[in-house]
Amino acid sequence: MRIIDVHGHWGPWPYHLEVGDVSLNVELMDRYGIDLQLVSAAEAVVYDAVAGNAALAEVLTSQPRLYGYAVINPNRLERSADDLRDCLSTGRFLGAKIHTSYPEVSISSPLMAEAFDLLDEVGVPLLLHTWGTDVAKLPGMLQDRPRLRVIVGHAGGDAWREAARAAVECDRLYLEHCRTVTDAGRIPFARAAGVPIGQFLFGTDSTLIDPCVSLGVIRDAGFTPEELEQVLSKNAEELFGL
Amino acid sequence: MRVPDWLTRSPEEQIEYDVDVLFGAWPAHPEDPDLRTVRRHLGRSGIQHALAISTRGALFDAAAGNAETLQAAGSGVGGPEFIPVGTVDLRDAVGVGERLDELVDQGVRCLRLFTLQQGVQGATPAYEHVVGEAVARGMVLLQDGDPRTFGPVLAGRGADVVFLDLHVYLLTDFLLIARDEPGFRATTRMLSSPDGIERVVETVGAEHLVFGSRTPFMDVSPQTLRLRYARIDPGDRALIAGGNVKALLGKVG
Repeated sequence: MRIIDVHGHWGPWPYHLEVGDVSLNVELMDRYGIDLQLVSAAEAVVYDAVAGNAALAEVLTSQPRLYGYAVINPNRLERSADDLRDCLSTGRFLGAKIHTSYPEVSISSPLMAEAFDLLDEVGVPLLLHTWGTDVAKLPGMLQDRPRLRVIVGHAGGDAWREAARAAVECDRLYLEHCRTVTDAGRIPFARAAGVPIGQFLFGTDSTLIDPCVSLGVIRDAGFTPEELEQVLSKNAEELFGL
Repeated sequence: MRVPDWLTRSPEEQIEYDVDVLFGAWPAHPEDPDLRTVRRHLGRSGIQHALAISTRGALFDAAAGNAETLQAAGSGVGGPEFIPVGTVDLRDAVGVGERLDELVDQGVRCLRLFTLQQGVQGATPAYEHVVGEAVARGMVLLQDGDPRTFGPVLAGRGADVVFLDLHVYLLTDFLLIARDEPGFRATTRMLSSPDGIERVVETVGAEHLVFGSRTPFMDVSPQTLRLRYARIDPGDRALIAGGNVKALLGKVG
């Protein structure tokens, strides 16, 4: 069974952890049978998007099982737009990542709307950090941006019910449930709400979070073998052309 | 098709004691998990003994909740054993000593506090009074909330405490407190990083960790898998999966 992790990171985090070396990404992938991982640089998420993306580009040259997300800071969109195109031109970056809390740009911010316009134009998938009820605004934001496909990172966090309802409204929203706090029943809730199996993706937040946490969520979700294959790999293959 | 190891539960995921189990209504949750559902879920998850408590005591009526908990603990037929956990309402703490005496007389060894649900954000007079009375009776405190807030209040009392909500981002604070508090323990539930459990074991010892799943409100497999794959020796894993709680409850030997 092929496994593709669509929500990974590379690099150190400012906590009492030691998870920054790329060898740990690969070690954890080997341990759990993860074939490919899409990662963003922790530095790009937390501190300096362009510098972090550049550092990741270097790492990717020697890591064939890793692909990159170019982190976009909506507060510096012009610079991020150029950087995104540069990253994509390497062939090793497959999408964009936007965090909402570090740059303090909410989903409903006009700055986010401008970033969405950029990504609609460029046409690559966006991994968006979602945490809170404003995830419900996404279907409306995608309505007039027909090329934009958004991975709903963390599936809304504590607003997982709102995220599920949003994914029912828009088939270009993909739920990805990685999170330290693994509220029971999030995936069954989303399925019962009507989210098609084609809109679930597998993500881990590794190496910040051990992949077994998300794998446990998948194990507890009660997928059939066919559904499992779709969630663990086929949906990601289709979305990213892998 | 290659079937990955993690998809099948292994013996390394067996849990002897789970300190964080609830049953009953929870208005903010999509469902109200009843006792039968919780027992079945624990059994499926390989959990043998559960320190369990009715949600009624946490949210509405401490005395009635304690009565439900004791009844549930006495009614188990097959399946995981329920060990009753008591509670008192931190908004109604005058005369709490007598209520704790009643709980102790009924064989209740652990007292769970619900500061989040009861709006207690720190060392209020009621909170200090309750923990003082509980520690004086030798009760084990199951403490929710931020260990940075409640740890310093509980330190220096010789208390046995299990922190139920230690997030991996707060690990450095717990390690600094636990160095000087042999009775301080935390659950592994939110030690989600690839080195979280390992860091506690290496820094202060496996004696400071226990398993607490928060069944039925959290998925259990993420937690048993993390323990299964933790880079610790089997003896330390056994302590975390139950040995430490067994000793705490005086069930060793």
